[in-house]
Amino acid sequence: MTDPFATLGLEPRFDLDLRAAEQRHRDLSRALHPDRYTGAPAAERRLALNRAIEVNEAWRVLRDPIRRADALLARAGVETREDAAPKPSPALLMDILESREELSSAAKRRDLGKVAALGEAMRAREQRTLAAVAAGLDGAGGDAGKIRAVLPWLGELRYYRRFLDEVSTIEEDLAEAQ
Amino acid sequence: MSLLEIFDPKARPSPIGIDLGTTNSLVARVRDGKPTVIADCNGERMVPSVVHYDARGAVVVGRSAQRLAASHPRETIVSVKRFVGRGAADPETRRLGPYEFAEPTTPEEAKSVRFKVRGRSLTPVEVSAEILKELRVSAERDLRSVGGVVITVPAYFDDAQRQATKDAGRLAGLEVLRLLNEPTAAALAYGLDQKQNGLFAVYDLGGGTFDITVLLLDSGVFQVKSTGGDSALGGDDMDRALAERLLGEMGATGHREAGSEGSPDAPRAAPVAPEVVRLALDLAREVKHRLTDAAQVEVEVPIQGSQATKLVTVTRDDFNALIAPLVERTGVACRRALRDAGVKAGDLDGVILVGGSTRVPYVREYVAKLFGKEPLGDIDPDEVVALGAAIQADILAGANDRSDEVLLLDVLPLSLGIETMGGVAEKVLPRNTTIPAGARQTFTTYADNQTGFDLHIVQGERELAADCRSLARFTLKGIPPMPAGMARLEVTFRVDADGLLGVTAREQTTGVEQKVEVKPSYGLTDEQVEDMLLAALDHGEEDLERRRLVEARVEGERVAMATRKALAADGDLLEPGEREAIEGALAALAAAIRGDRASLIQGRTEALDDATHAWAGRRMDRAVAHAIAGKRIGDVEAEVAAAKGVDQHVEEHQAGARGQDAAEIAPAIIEERR
Repeated sequence: MTDPFATLGLEPRFDLDLRAAEQRHRDLSRALHPDRYTGAPAAERRLALNRAIEVNEAWRVLRDPIRRADALLARAGVETREDAAPKPSPALLMDILESREELSSAAKRRDLGKVAALGEAMRAREQRTLAAVAAGLDGAGGDAGKIRAVLPWLGELRYYRRFLDEVSTIEEDLAEAQ
Repeated sequence: MSLLEIFDPKARPSPIGIDLGTTNSLVARVRDGKPTVIADCNGERMVPSVVHYDARGAVVVGRSAQRLAASHPRETIVSVKRFVGRGAADPETRRLGPYEFAEPTTPEEAKSVRFKVRGRSLTPVEVSAEILKELRVSAERDLRSVGGVVITVPAYFDDAQRQATKDAGRLAGLEVLRLLNEPTAAALAYGLDQKQNGLFAVYDLGGGTFDITVLLLDSGVFQVKSTGGDSALGGDDMDRALAERLLGEMGATGHREAGSEGSPDAPRAAPVAPEVVRLALDLAREVKHRLTDAAQVEVEVPIQGSQATKLVTVTRDDFNALIAPLVERTGVACRRALRDAGVKAGDLDGVILVGGSTRVPYVREYVAKLFGKEPLGDIDPDEVVALGAAIQADILAGANDRSDEVLLLDVLPLSLGIETMGGVAEKVLPRNTTIPAGARQTFTTYADNQTGFDLHIVQGERELAADCRSLARFTLKGIPPMPAGMARLEVTFRVDADGLLGVTAREQTTGVEQKVEVKPSYGLTDEQVEDMLLAALDHGEEDLERRRLVEARVEGERVAMATRKALAADGDLLEPGEREAIEGALAALAAAIRGDRASLIQGRTEALDDATHAWAGRRMDRAVAHAIAGKRIGDVEAEVAAAKGVDQHVEEHQAGARGQDAAEIAPAIIEERR
C-alpha cells in the first residue's frame, strides 16, 4: 500500500486535523478527477485515473482511526495483519462478552434506552482508547518499539467498533418496528 | 442560432445530456451558458419511455407508441427501465404486466430478461436504445451535430444496470461521456442555479426507482456523502397497487402475475387478458394524477364478461392507504443514508424533491415529516435531472468556463465483494466509497495442491454471496501445486467514474504470475453489442467504416488540441528533445487526419500519446503540487516554483506569505503547521 499521508501531502500523525485533510482530498480531486481529463490522450487519462483512485483511497484510510493507525504502523515497518496482532486479554474478552449479553437482552426487551446507554458507554471507552493510541503513536518519535505498543489497543478498538455496529443495527431495527 | 452556425459543415459537435427515465425521457443541452430541454418535432419536451414494434418491423417511440399500448399491450414495451440489467429469473421482471418473455436456453442468456415481441426476442438494452435514438434525432434537429452524451442512471443502479445503460447508449450510436447519478445531476442543476452552499438531501422518487442522496455543496464541489434507495420502487408500484383494486372492481380476478406462487392445489383462474391489465394500469395512473389536486375521483371501468360499466370512486385517503407501505419503504432508505453520511435530519440545509412521483401529496407530506422541514419546491421535478446531465456534458466537453470550478464527487451505491469460504460475501469496496475507487485484497488456497481459484464477484449488502447480485465468475488457473494456505492470490477491484467495475487477479508466490481481467456481464457481450450496431446500420460494413473514420478524426483532433493547449501551458516541463518528438507526432497526426484511413489516424494518435506520456506525468505532479499549495492555476510564478518540486514550492510560499498578504496563502498549509 502506498503511504496515504504522502499521497495527500500531510504530516504523518494520528491526531490529524480531519477537516484540513478532507479539504486536501477535495483540492487534489479537483486536480486529478477523471472529469478533468476527458479530452486528454488515453495514457494521460489512465494516469489521472490511477492517481485519483490513490487519492480517494488515501482519504478513506486516513478518515478511519483504525486504518490511520495501521498506516502509521506500516510506515514504521510494523506488521499489522490481523493474524500478527497480539491476542486480546481474557479480561477484555470477558468484558465484551458481558456487554454483548446485556445488549442482546435489552434488544429482546425492546429497551431502546438501555441499548442507547450501552452504546454511550462503549463510545466513551472507544474515546479513551483512541486518546491512548494518539499519545502512543504521536509521542513515539519514530521508535518502532513504542509504536508497536499500541497494537493491543487497536485490537480493542476493533471489538468496540463491532459492538457499536451492532448497537446501530439494533437501534435501526427497533426504530423501524415502531 | 446564427446562419453561419447552421451552415457550417464543420460545426463543433455539441454535448447533450439525457435523462433516460422509467416513464418519460428528456434530452437537454447548454445554450449560452444555460441548460435547456430540447423539444421534439411536435414541441414535446418529455418523450414517454414507450417503444412499440409494429407488424412491418418498424419501431415507434414516445407518445404515438403510448397510444398503441392499449390495443397492442405485448408489442408495446412500457417502463423498460425496470427490466434493464436484470436476469430472466429476477422477481422484479415477473410482476403485474402484460408482457410475454422468451425462455432462456442457456445460462448466459438467462443473465438478461428478453421480451418476446412478434417472434423476436428483445433485450431491454435494445428497447432502451430505441428511446435514446429518438432523443438523439431530436437533438440532431436542434444542434445539427451531436457530440458526447451524459446519460443519467438511478444512483442505486448496480453494476449490471449501469453497464446495460451504457451499452444502450452505444447501440443508439452515441458516445457516452459519462453515466451520471440522477440525484447528483439534480443537485448540480439546482446548486448552480441557486448558488447555495450547504448540506442537502435529494429525494428522488421516479416511475420505477427510488434514490436518496445526501450531499455537500461547497463552492462548486458537489460531494456525495451517502446514497441509498431501491431500484424497484416508484410510481409504477402505486399504479399497480391501485390497478389491483380496479381489476377487483372489474371482476377480473384471475391469475395475473406470471410466476406468482400460490398453493399448487388451488385451482388457477384463467389469466386476465393483457389488454385488461394494460387498461387497469393506465386508468390507475390517470386516477393517481387527478388525485394530486382532487380529494376524490370517479372512474368508469368495464365489467369483465359483459358490456356493462361501473363507476368507481377513489378518494385520496383510499389512495394514501394503498401507497403508504410503499412510501414507508423510502423512509428506511433515508434513515440509513443519513446514518451512513454521519448526519442528522436537523443538519440538512434543504431537501430537494426530484421525480414525478414526488408530486403525490402524500409523498410530500411524508418527506416533510421525515426530515422535519418543508422540501424545496422551486424546481421542476421532471426536468431538473436532464438539465443537470446537460451541464455535466458541457463541463466534460470542456466547452465551459465552469469546467474548472465544478466537480462532482460521487460514490459507489452498493458494496462490492468476493465470495469466500462458506459462501460469505467479503466486502472489498464498501458502499458509499468515493469513486473512482480501487482496493486490493489477498486470498489463499484452502486445499493442498489446489491449482485453480474460483472467483465469484458480487454486489450488495447481504452477508451471504447467494443473497447478493452476482456480477461475474471466473477461474484463475495454472497455480503450481503447493500446501493449503501458501498461495497468495491478489485480487484488485477498480471502479471508474461511471461506477463500473473491473477486476484483475494474479497469483504471486512462486514468481508465477497469472493475470485475468474480467468485466462483469449482464447477458450481452461486447461483440453482441457490436453486431447489433452493425445490423442496425443501413449499409453495414461501409457505414461502420465511415463511422470509425469520423470517430478516429474526432478523437485525433481532440488529443492534438489537448496537447497543443498543454504545450502552451506547461512547455517549461519538457525535457530536451521532447518538444521535437511531440511536434513531429503532431504533424504526422495532422497529415493522417487529412487522409481517410481510420487505422492510420488511430496509430498516430497512439504515437502522440506515447510521445507525451512522460511529460504528462510531470504535468500531473505539477497539478498535485498546485492543489497541495492551494494555488489557482494561472499564477506563472507558482507554476515555475511547482515544477521545482513540491517541498520547495511550499517553502517559497510560506516564506513569501510571512511578508505579505496572509489571505493569499493556502489554508491547508496553515492548518498543518498549527
